Amino acid sequence: MPAISLNPQTRFLLLGSALLTGMLILWWFVLLNPLLFLLRGAVQVCGGAVFSGRSELSVTEAPSGDWTFEVPLEATLPRSLENPTPQQMHSIDFDLARSDAGAFTFGLPVYWAIMLAAPGIRRNLRPLLLGTLAMVVLEIALLLVTAEIYAHKALAQLLPSQDPLGNWFLHFSEYLSVSAIPYVIPFAVALWVDRELREQIFHWASAAPLPAEAAAISAGNRPGKRPRQMKPARKRG
Amino acid sequence: MLLPPVQVLDGHFSRVLVKVSHGLIGICGGTAKVEGAILRAPGGFAVEMKDGCNGVNVTILLWSAILAFPAAWRMKVLGLLAGSLAIQLMNVVRFISLFYIGQYSTNWFEFAHGYLWETLLMLDTMVVFWLWVSRVSRAGTVPNAGD
Repeated sequence: MPAISLNPQTRFLLLGSALLTGMLILWWFVLLNPLLFLLRGAVQVCGGAVFSGRSELSVTEAPSGDWTFEVPLEATLPRSLENPTPQQMHSIDFDLARSDAGAFTFGLPVYWAIMLAAPGIRRNLRPLLLGTLAMVVLEIALLLVTAEIYAHKALAQLLPSQDPLGNWFLHFSEYLSVSAIPYVIPFAVALWVDRELREQIFHWASAAPLPAEAAAISAGNRPGKRPRQMKPARKRG
Repeated sequence: MLLPPVQVLDGHFSRVLVKVSHGLIGICGGTAKVEGAILRAPGGFAVEMKDGCNGVNVTILLWSAILAFPAAWRMKVLGLLAGSLAIQLMNVVRFISLFYIGQYSTNWFEFAHGYLWETLLMLDTMVVFWLWVSRVSRAGTVPNAGD
């Protein structure tokens, strides 16, 4: 029976789709709760260092699984019918649904699926590990940014004067941080750390040869030094 | 997509996609009812194609990548048209599958809608771009990493 030969794109699509499905099912049933627990702890530790104010960032979990954020935010609420004197605020509370918090953990299995579907990853596991570390840092940073956006949105609802442009900007920022960036990050990180995948997609490897000195610089060598010798690939039996 | 005039066009586009999905379900022997951008099953379950569910966000991502890539304008136009069509075909399959998954289980619908199909569409977009770059390369306008 003749062997079916697939082009790299079809192979990547089929293998990537199968791995994505498998990894996301694993995440949904097994990894979601431990990752949420770790994320909440990491956000509290990192948030304490990032947010500075009279109060500290705190994240508590309700019995329903939803998270309650208390974000440090200095603001003065003007006098109103309910409050005759202006009130100084030091922090603001808001709730984040468990499903929304989960959106900051699913990037890891997606990233692993892309990397395992990428050509040549079995030869070099370093990009997989490096990218995992980058994903962890980016997911924590993105959740902290999202918490800040939600805090400002909650504050905007308390203030009597409405700024349409500012509200639109907050809405746009929320869209990016919740509905766009979490889905793009795993793919961007995979392209960033996996040189072979990047070169295959952008066809940079087949570009015209560079002059010797420029080639040395692009390979990570400084001009004037001997370029690193490439080791011949070992055949694996 | 967040500006009012664009949202009107976006809404029209969603309704067209729902009509196409409804037509395909009918051709395959299924039953559904269309109410604007909502597809309703005889059992009462309904799924609405909202802003962001119509594949416009990933199409914009593909357009940005194609327009930023150094290639001839003819190839770019070809990539924009063929790529958008490929993404929208995949999105119609996604919408129809969600319509049936939702009738089976709400939990699986949440999983497939929020995570699985979103990332599969991203993967599809990446592969469409890869195929387009291969075609550009074969056409003789191979870009250089330094360009």
